[in-house]
Amino acid sequence: MSTAIELIGITKRFPGVIANDNINFSVEEGEIHAICGENGAGKSTLMKILYGMQPADEGVMKVNGVEVDFSSPTDAIAAGIGMVHQHFMLADQFSVIENVILGSEPTTVGGILDFDTAKTHLAEVGDAYGLTIDPDDFVSELEVGERQRVEIIKVLYRGANILILDEPTAVLVPQEVEALFDNLRELKAAGSTIIFIDHKLQEVLEISDRITIIRRGKSITTVNAADVTAGDLAELMVGEELPSPETTESTVTDVVALEVQNITVLDEYGRPVVHDVSFKIHQGEVLGIAGIEGNGQGELVDAIVGMERPLSGSVYLGGLDVSLKSVRQRRDEGFGYVPKDRHEAGLLLVAPLWENAALGHQTKPPFAKGWWIDRKGSHQRTDEIRERFDVRSPNADVAAHALSGGNQQKLIIGRELIGDPKVIILAHPTRGIDVGAQAAVWNEIRSARAAGQASLLISADLDELIGLSDRIVVMFHGKLVAELDPAEITPRLLGSYMTGAALQGGAQ
Amino acid sequence: MSFTQFQKLPAYYRWPILAFVGIVVLALVQELTGQGLLTSTTTIQTALKWAMPILIAGLGGLLSERCGVVNIGLEGMMILGTWFGAWGTLQFGSPWWGLFFGILGGAMGGLLHAIATVGFGVDHIVSGVAINILAPGTARYLSDRVFAQMDGGSISQSPRVESLGGFTWPVLAKGPDLFGRVERLDWFIVSDVFGVLRGLLFQMSYLTAIGLALVPISAFLLTKTRFGLRLRIAGENPLAGESLGINIYRQKFIGVIISGGLAGMAGSLIVLDLAQLYRQNQTTGRGFIALAALIFGNWKASGVLAGAVLFGYPFGLSLRDLEGTATRSLLLVIAIALVVVMVWAFTKQNIADGILAGTVAVGSLLFFLFTNTAPSWLPGTMPYVLVLLVLVFASQRLRMPAAVGLPYRKGGS
Ligand SMILES: Nc1ncnc2c1ncn2[C@@H]1O[C@H](COP(=O)(O)OP(=O)(O)OP(=O)(O)O)[C@@H](O)[C@H]1O
Ligand SMILES: [Mg+2]
Repeated sequence: MSTAIELIGITKRFPGVIANDNINFSVEEGEIHAICGENGAGKSTLMKILYGMQPADEGVMKVNGVEVDFSSPTDAIAAGIGMVHQHFMLADQFSVIENVILGSEPTTVGGILDFDTAKTHLAEVGDAYGLTIDPDDFVSELEVGERQRVEIIKVLYRGANILILDEPTAVLVPQEVEALFDNLRELKAAGSTIIFIDHKLQEVLEISDRITIIRRGKSITTVNAADVTAGDLAELMVGEELPSPETTESTVTDVVALEVQNITVLDEYGRPVVHDVSFKIHQGEVLGIAGIEGNGQGELVDAIVGMERPLSGSVYLGGLDVSLKSVRQRRDEGFGYVPKDRHEAGLLLVAPLWENAALGHQTKPPFAKGWWIDRKGSHQRTDEIRERFDVRSPNADVAAHALSGGNQQKLIIGRELIGDPKVIILAHPTRGIDVGAQAAVWNEIRSARAAGQASLLISADLDELIGLSDRIVVMFHGKLVAELDPAEITPRLLGSYMTGAALQGGAQ
Repeated sequence: MSFTQFQKLPAYYRWPILAFVGIVVLALVQELTGQGLLTSTTTIQTALKWAMPILIAGLGGLLSERCGVVNIGLEGMMILGTWFGAWGTLQFGSPWWGLFFGILGGAMGGLLHAIATVGFGVDHIVSGVAINILAPGTARYLSDRVFAQMDGGSISQSPRVESLGGFTWPVLAKGPDLFGRVERLDWFIVSDVFGVLRGLLFQMSYLTAIGLALVPISAFLLTKTRFGLRLRIAGENPLAGESLGINIYRQKFIGVIISGGLAGMAGSLIVLDLAQLYRQNQTTGRGFIALAALIFGNWKASGVLAGAVLFGYPFGLSLRDLEGTATRSLLLVIAIALVVVMVWAFTKQNIADGILAGTVAVGSLLFFLFTNTAPSWLPGTMPYVLVLLVLVFASQRLRMPAAVGLPYRKGGS
C-alpha cells in the first residue's frame, strides 16, 4: 500500500487562534482514516486546507506522493479529492441534479447544460454505490438523510477517489448511519481512500482502520482502531472518562408546565403532517420524542414555538393559552428553543457572538436597557455563556461563522438555557458536540430539570434520548403511536418502534 | 381547474392565461364605463413603450439579484444610459451607436457597483444609493461640457436625436392585417383581445422587439446554461459554489455588469425611442419601478414582464387619457381584482387577508364612484400599491434568492 495523503507541518492561524499547529498526518491508500478531537481542535480547518478551500500558512501537502499546492477546490477535485462538509453545502432551491453537476457541468454547444448526460452519469454513480435519488427533486423537499446522500453523490460524481467526510453522521439516525457505513465499505472495497470525522466514538471504532487524534490544533497520535476502546479514545482526546447520559433520580412533579392539545398541521398539499397530537410535560420532566426525521417532529415543534400556524389545536404554557401568541410573546412567557439546524434557524452567521447571544432576549436586560441595546451587558452575558458552556472563541466580537461547528452549537445551548425558560424544546441539542462537552451539556439539562424546568427532547442519538428522558413517546407518520419507559427500553427496540416495525405486530 | 393546478403550470402557460383574463376584465370594464381607450391600439402602444424601460431594467435587476447583489442603483445606471445613448448617437451619427454606448455607460455603473459591493464588501444599498446620487451629477457635468456646446443643447438637455425606428409585423398587422380585421369586426372581447395584440405588432420599435426577446433569452440563460447555473449559485449559496471550485467573485462581477448594461439599455431606450433627446431627470424613478416589477415578478423573467406591463399600462393610459376618465376606470379594475383576491383568501381560510382585500376593494370602488377623473398621481403610485398588495397577500409565495444582499468573502473568512 502506498500513501495517499501526507501532510507535513501544516499550520493555520486565524486572528486570535491557531487552528492548526504544525500538524503531521498521513493516510494510506484504501483505508478509512478517522480524525477525532474536541470541538475547535482544528479538524474541519485541516480538511478545508487539504481540499483547497483555505490556504495553509505553513506546511507541505503531498497527494499520492506528489507535492501539491491547491489554490482552490478545483485543484483538489482535479487531484481526485472530494469533500462532504460539516454543514450542508446545497442550494435549497436547486434541483438535485443542478446541485450535483455544479462546477463540472456537462454541456452541449454554447454552454447549454446537458441534463440527459448528467442524469445518465448520476444514475451510473448511484447504481455503482447503491445511492438512489430522484435528480429532479428540489433539495428543499429532501430529508436530511437524502441531503447527505446528495452530498456524497456530488463527490462521487466527480470521480473522487479520496473522500473527506466531515461529521457525516451527525444528522443521521442509526439506520441511516448503517446505510452510510455500508456505502463507505463498498467505496473502500472499490479502492477509495476515506477520511472521516466523527464525535461518536463507537461509530469511529466500527468503521475506521486507523484513527488520528487532534488536540488543540496539534496532531497527538495515530492509533489502530483495533487496538483501542472508546474509553481510550476519549482519554486521548480530552483526558477524561467517557461520560454516559444516565438520568439521576426522578424530579418529575405533578404541575403541568406544557400542555399540547390536539395539534394538527397540514403540509402545503393539505395533508396532515402532524395528526391530532396531544401531550403534557410536567415541571422537572424531560419528555423525549423518538422518531425518524420527517415524521412530523419538525412541524410539531414549529407549531409549539409559534413558527407555524397549526390547522387546529392549542398550546398551554403553565395553564396559559399561548395558541394565538407570536413567537416573541411565547418566548417572553418562558419558552426556550434549540433548533435542529443551527445554520438554518439558530444563528446569524455573519453577526458577532454577542449579537447572536442576544437573539430572542434582545428586549430584556442584560441585553437591553429600555429601548436601547446594552452592549456592555450583552458582552458580559455572552462571556458568561462562553465560560459556562465552554464556547471556544477568542472573544465575543468574532462572527459566528468563525466558530467551529460544535462551538456554534454550544453557544445556542447556552443562549437558550441561561435565560432559565420554563419550558425548553431541545432538537438534537448535542449535534456535533464532542464527548467532553456533551457530558457538560447533559449536566446542564439535568440541573435545569432538577430546578423544575420542563423539557421536550428530540434526538437522533438514541442513547441520549433514553438516558435523559423521563418518558419517551414515539412519533410515526405524524401521530404519537406509543409511550415507552426509558428504563425498560433498548436502543434497538426503540429503533423498531421508530420504523413502525414494532407497531405492525411483533415486538412489544 | 383548481387554483393549485393552475399554479403548477409552467410560466409560459400561466402568464398568457393571466394576461388573457386581464384583457377580458379590461374589456368588461370598458363596456361598463363606456371607456373606449382602455384597450385601443394606441393605448396599448403607449403602454408598451412605457413598459419597455421597466422591463429591460427589471431584467437587469433580475440578473444582479440572482447572483446575490441588490441593485438599487438601477436608476443611476439608467441615467448613465440616457446620457451615453444620446451622446453616442450624436457623436457617431447612428442611434445604434447610441444604443451601444448607452449599454456601455450603464455597464460602467454596474462595474462600479460590483467593485464596491463584491470587491470591497460595501453594503449593497449604500453603494446603490451612491450610484443614484453620482449618476445624475455625472450626467449634468458631462452635459455641461458636451451638450451645452452643441446647437440646441443645454446643460440639462441634448439636441434632438434620431429614433431607432421600428417595423410592422407583416400579414398579422399590415397587408392582409388579420388582427386589424378582427378588431374592426367589433365582436365583444374577441375584438378587444385582437386590438391589444395588433397594438403590440403595429409599428413595433426595434428596441421593443429586443426587449421582449430578452425575456425568454434571460430565462433560458439563467435556467438552462452553465453560465446561468453558476450565476445563480452565487445568489443562492455562494459557499456551496465555492466548495465546488466556482469563482463566486467572477460570477457576481459578470452578473452586476450585465445588470448595469441592461439598465443602460433601458435608459437609452427612453432617449432613442420615447423622447428622442436626452433630458435631465428623464428616467423619473423607473429604475425603482423596475425593482418593484422584479419583486412583483418573483425574481423570474416572465414575472418581470408581467410586472412591467402591469406597471407601464397606467402610464400609457394616462398619457392618452388627458381628462383622466379612463384612468379612473382602472380603480374599478383594481376593485375587481381585489374581490378575486378576497374570495381566494376566504377559500384558503385566510380570514384576515380576505377582510383586508375586501376593505381595500370597497375603498377602491368608493373612490371610483365618487370621482369623475383620476388624480394625476394615480399612475405613478399604482406600481408601489400593487407591490404592497403582492407583499401582503402573496409574500409566502415570493422567493428571492437565498443569499441576496449578504456579504460574501472567499473561504468564509
Ligand atoms: N473562518 C474562521 N475565522 C476565524 N477563526 C476560525 C475560522 N474557522 C475556524 N476558526 C477557528 O479555528 C479553530 C478550529 O476550528 P475547526 O472548525 O477546524 O474545529 P473542529 O475541530 O472542526 O471543531 P468541531 O468539532 O466543533 O467541528 C476554532 O477555534 C475556530 O474558532
Ligand atoms: Mg468541524
